Amino acid sequence: MTNLNIARAKATSRIMYSVCIACAFLIVATLVLITGYLLVIGLHSLNWRFFVNLPQSDQPGMRNSIEGTIILVALASLAGIPIGMLAGVYLSEYEANSILAGPVRFVSDVLAGVPSIVVGILGYELIVVPAGTYSGWAGAAALAFIMIPIVARTTEEMLRLVPASYREASIALGATKARTILRVVIPSATGSLVTGAMLAVARVAGETAPLLFTAVGSPYLVHNPSRPFPSLTLRIYELSNEPSPEARSQAWSGILVLIALIFVVNLSVRYFTRQRK
Amino acid sequence: MMTAAVESESQVVKRGRRNWGEPAMRIAATGSAIVILLMLAALVVVLFVAAVPSIKHFGPGFLMTSTWRPNPLPVLKLDAHGRSIRDRRTGMKVVDHNEPPRFGALASLCGTAQTSMIALLLAVPLSLGAAFYLVRIAPHWLIMPVSFLIEFLAAIPSIAYGLWGMFVLGPWMGGPSRWERIFGILPVPAGIESRFAWLFLQIPGLHWLAQQRIGTRVVPIPTTGRDVLVAGIILGIMIIPIITAISRDVLRNVPRAQIEGTIALGATWWQSCRETLKYSRSALFGAIILGMARAAGETMAVLMVMGSAAVVATSPFMAGTTMASQLAGEFPEASTNDLHRGALMELALILLVMSLAFNVVARYLVVGKSARTSAAH
Repeated sequence: MTNLNIARAKATSRIMYSVCIACAFLIVATLVLITGYLLVIGLHSLNWRFFVNLPQSDQPGMRNSIEGTIILVALASLAGIPIGMLAGVYLSEYEANSILAGPVRFVSDVLAGVPSIVVGILGYELIVVPAGTYSGWAGAAALAFIMIPIVARTTEEMLRLVPASYREASIALGATKARTILRVVIPSATGSLVTGAMLAVARVAGETAPLLFTAVGSPYLVHNPSRPFPSLTLRIYELSNEPSPEARSQAWSGILVLIALIFVVNLSVRYFTRQRK
Repeated sequence: MMTAAVESESQVVKRGRRNWGEPAMRIAATGSAIVILLMLAALVVVLFVAAVPSIKHFGPGFLMTSTWRPNPLPVLKLDAHGRSIRDRRTGMKVVDHNEPPRFGALASLCGTAQTSMIALLLAVPLSLGAAFYLVRIAPHWLIMPVSFLIEFLAAIPSIAYGLWGMFVLGPWMGGPSRWERIFGILPVPAGIESRFAWLFLQIPGLHWLAQQRIGTRVVPIPTTGRDVLVAGIILGIMIIPIITAISRDVLRNVPRAQIEGTIALGATWWQSCRETLKYSRSALFGAIILGMARAAGETMAVLMVMGSAAVVATSPFMAGTTMASQLAGEFPEASTNDLHRGALMELALILLVMSLAFNVVARYLVVGKSARTSAAH
């Protein structure tokens, strides 16, 4: 009887061992298949015109959308990264004598999980409705909203990794707290702070839902953020609803450009963090 | 100790040259922290205020109604025999009165629950299996590339998954059962849904899974590839990287002594794995909830593959909608109609509250457990 049980346990174990390997293989295979497909189909219709032509041209491109995404993300970063980093500094460096830190940490964790469409609606209600028009500002604000909690939490975690002895040494040498933070703590964590910021940038660069009712998209080359603003993701979504095969292949190329952008950010982040270690 | 040192030091500086940097830095940092609190407050307040018309008008019944009708519904005037009356002069049917617009969240709540469930059924076993592979099986040189791939896939924007689901997965799942070739060579079965629908029709208790009622007739559901099932599968693929990455970290944090103990007691490989599962079950549960929160809040991919029909789907082959995708799909048309907009805002509010709840629970489970684990070292 016991022998049988042992044999059964061993057999189960062997089966589950193979099942785990199969799971990993299946996941990797699916994901490789998806990215492979995106890559093959996307490359098919990708050429230099895609980057320099406007949607109205005979050989339509996405110049305005690519520029639009870059501008939107840059504007969002201008607001989101400093606020997020300062909040992270607060949580890591000023936390000790405050009852605010717990709630702030908790709220930023929770905000990072809020569906992005809800953020877009907030942008619509707070910026688009009062201003009376869809605008790049509203889109950038929605993206900044998403960035702030992410940057705050990564900044806090990275600053916590800086040894306390650095701070003590700086203060022992007569530096003020602000000087310690700016000259000692932040410089010694620069690499990982940049990593965190870049990951947040990559995250918002691929967002569509928060821009639907804020930036709203535009077929023209727009550089003025107080007007409806083009974005790569919005353009891809628009194209996906058009029946023509040309529109579809453009959408695939757009996805490829977007993913390439995010891949480069991820890869460089990996590279730099490894260098730091 | 440290704060005392800072204070005495800053006093020294105050006596000397001017020092505005210190308070400026503190104010900027504190202000930014407060901004985060205000952000959540703004979300809750703004959505609540915008949802007030709908909350007042429908009350709690909003959650129990599946009707979603933005426009008034004309009801025809009937004669004694129950036939519609025609106008003598124009020949048009005579309208008795208009039913007012009506909104209820039940359809999108159900759609959200159904798609999330399908996603979890698909993602949880695969992710846990893969996490065990990464922690307990994988050769050293393979861990890094596989981990990188999985983390990178978590970073792929949802619109990419949406496009893939719309143009590849959907058409492959839907349509008549047939054979297709991947990249022009490898033949694979396509039209999976119609095969399943056929199977359901053969099994006595499962007829209803492949049939729908139109009026009084019961007819087979056409398998279009834009339905609850495809949306669930896409969501599953999207949350696999998240659940895998978190549960990998959780399993890796199981103390070595715990694993060695089980093996010393003579456990087989799988028995030892089960013990680690038990040991870290609450954190794994947290990982699953995080995945579910992501699936429930996902907008674009669902909007592109689910067919946007505000009905309670009784079959995986029916089109449906989720709260997030209904918001995204209808909001542009709703801005002139206060009640419609209010109803969408109430959906957004429910979505917000739900995601907050999920994240609070998940955070408690994951963080609480890892704190306990690190204390045990």
